[in-house]
Amino acid sequence: MAAIIKETQSIKQAVTLINGIDPGKFPRLLSRILQKLHLKAERSFSEEEEEKLQSAFSLEKQDLQLILETVSFILEQAVYHNVKPASLQQQLENVHLNPEKAEAFAQAWATTGQETVEKFRQRMFAPKKLESVGWQLSLQMAQSTQAKMKSPRAVLELGVRSEDSENSEKMFVEFSHEELLDFYNKLETIQAQLDSLT
Amino acid sequence: MSSAGKAAASAAGQPSDRTGFLGARIPSEVEVMTKHLKDLDKEMFRKILKAVVSALEGKDCRESMTAIAEHGNLSEEQLSYIIAGMYTLLKEALRLPASSLKQEVFKEDLRDIRIAEEFIADFASVIFGSRRAVLESAAAQQGTRRAGIADFRWRVDVAISTSSLARALQPSILMQMKLTDGNAHRFEVPVSKFQELRYNVALILKEMNDLEKRSVLKIQD
Repeated sequence: MAAIIKETQSIKQAVTLINGIDPGKFPRLLSRILQKLHLKAERSFSEEEEEKLQSAFSLEKQDLQLILETVSFILEQAVYHNVKPASLQQQLENVHLNPEKAEAFAQAWATTGQETVEKFRQRMFAPKKLESVGWQLSLQMAQSTQAKMKSPRAVLELGVRSEDSENSEKMFVEFSHEELLDFYNKLETIQAQLDSLT
Repeated sequence: MSSAGKAAASAAGQPSDRTGFLGARIPSEVEVMTKHLKDLDKEMFRKILKAVVSALEGKDCRESMTAIAEHGNLSEEQLSYIIAGMYTLLKEALRLPASSLKQEVFKEDLRDIRIAEEFIADFASVIFGSRRAVLESAAAQQGTRRAGIADFRWRVDVAISTSSLARALQPSILMQMKLTDGNAHRFEVPVSKFQELRYNVALILKEMNDLEKRSVLKIQD
């Protein structure tokens, strides 16, 4: 398959730096970056953590930044092309990453790769996403304008989360029996559409 | 006249101290109205009644009210007492479902507060006639409730490729809900969440059906 990593100047530089890192600590770094790869708005490490990493690897701030960016880039490319672990390993060796590190990448990818690709699949361009569905069914007995009603009412609680943040919002929608049936029929139409896709 | 009716009722073995549909204490606006009704001719009564029914249906009746105020020979004060009384009387009667308040009982209660027989007939035709369905739905709409769905739109997309994935091939559902309180929400629904939503809605519907079967038997009017 075509090379997913081209050996540009900055890649060369990054590779040299990565090759110099203590191999013992490298796998943990990889898996941590992989975990947060799909979250656009969040950085993999906080300011504090980056400082700790600087001292742990005895690196200058710029060098650490380059390493983190390059590792993220490599992994993002892996996601985009959905490469196999073996292929990833080979390609990294082709850009002169030492075999130990290339293997670490392949290992991490083999373990968490599919999961990460799935997370990216789930991320579409919608401002908000439905996260939770709750409901309450009650029998309305009366209101100020009507007595002795015995009317079943349902309230749907839809939890919606904004893609890039921790904020989630709850929408409350009330339905009478008839209104809910109407809504259900629309959901059935959507289901029919989904079925026709497969 | 009404005491003879009551005597007849108690002779038939029915309790004559039943609380009327207007409650244990007749609302003051209704009492005041009954005094002023005596001054009304049938035509004027019907005009005012028509305007009040329009108001109950939620329509704007300012024009008809001003017409009545100008052309009638009632003082503004009198007119306002009559309108207030009619409005309250009808509203209270409409609160109770037709199965609960029977026409005869309604008429009996109006006789008890000394409203003329011909006016009683007109009131009864509003509450028990063909307009009732319209009036009931207007009352239901004016009720207290959370926002419902005013408009619901959706679409199903399949992303073929995105900036992060060369071959995504993932269906996604986009929903847009406009609620009756004016808020609009647009959000994506992952297919798995959609199934959860659909399942839960079906579950609620089933429970509603069960509830309706049971409640009819247990909770008597």
